[in-house]
Amino acid sequence: MITVAIIGNPNVGKTELFNRLTGMKQHVGNWPGVTVEKKTGTFTYRGEEIRVVDLPGTYSLTAQAADELIARNYIVDEKPDVVVDIVDGTNLERNLYLTLLLLELEANVVIALNRWDMVKERGIVIEVDKLSELLGVPVVPTVAPTGEGAEVLKEVVMKAAKEKEVRRKIVMGYGEDVERPIGVVEDAVRKDASLSGRYPPRWLAIKVLERDGQVLKLVEESPHRAEIMAAVK
Amino acid sequence: MAEKRLNEMRKGEKGRVTEIAASGYLRQRVMDMGIVRGAKIEVVRNAPLGDPMEFLLKGYNLTLRKEDAANILLEVE
Repeated sequence: MITVAIIGNPNVGKTELFNRLTGMKQHVGNWPGVTVEKKTGTFTYRGEEIRVVDLPGTYSLTAQAADELIARNYIVDEKPDVVVDIVDGTNLERNLYLTLLLLELEANVVIALNRWDMVKERGIVIEVDKLSELLGVPVVPTVAPTGEGAEVLKEVVMKAAKEKEVRRKIVMGYGEDVERPIGVVEDAVRKDASLSGRYPPRWLAIKVLERDGQVLKLVEESPHRAEIMAAVK
Repeated sequence: MAEKRLNEMRKGEKGRVTEIAASGYLRQRVMDMGIVRGAKIEVVRNAPLGDPMEFLLKGYNLTLRKEDAANILLEVE
């Protein structure tokens, strides 16, 4: 079965859109070990059943907050077929930060550009095709309260789930000063085939340089830990 | 141009971030919230007892404890 995870900043209409997609077919539980609500649901599109998982609303994906870690672990470990990133169209700059983190995780992202009605009302002009081209992911304008765009979103999600491998990758560059160390650590990380097979090597390198607690633990367990940590210096 | 800490700014004052004098989680968190070098911040208001403070940056409002805001240095416009 195709699994779709829904993510976004808090208060972008994430739950509303989740409800739009799944209707009444929902199950509410908890993420294992923590009291963060886990909602899953299903919808059927052209005879195919799709599972939808509502991830906690977050601004970032660090290892330091429980909700962020849940969202991040779900994406890196469970590898959902598609990650629908709900972006508040009236606040693009703020919201696209999470989008870039998702792209760094090499998630199969589809953007739901929500609050499209308010975007138009406020006279904000967003070139949807250009945004899609720059980020290398499909972008679908949506209005969660009315359901506008929900059918198109389902269609685009299905298409993305099936074309996973042909997606071109967009790499967000951080400038030479940062890219050099990332490259060095990434080369070291790639020596551990098992680790770099499970997680995107560039993402691992960035997280090692950020001294991300969870990724440093992964590196500690690696037979190549000495080389990786030497590359950091 | 004068340099100030974010907690020292008054309502209506605007500035550009020059430095985040924090490390670890606070630094990461503050940067996740969009407070990065070069970001423009305007003080919207103070809570009745002065703490926390509300700011406008990148088109959204953000509230910070004064204690945390003290770590952010700005060039006042």
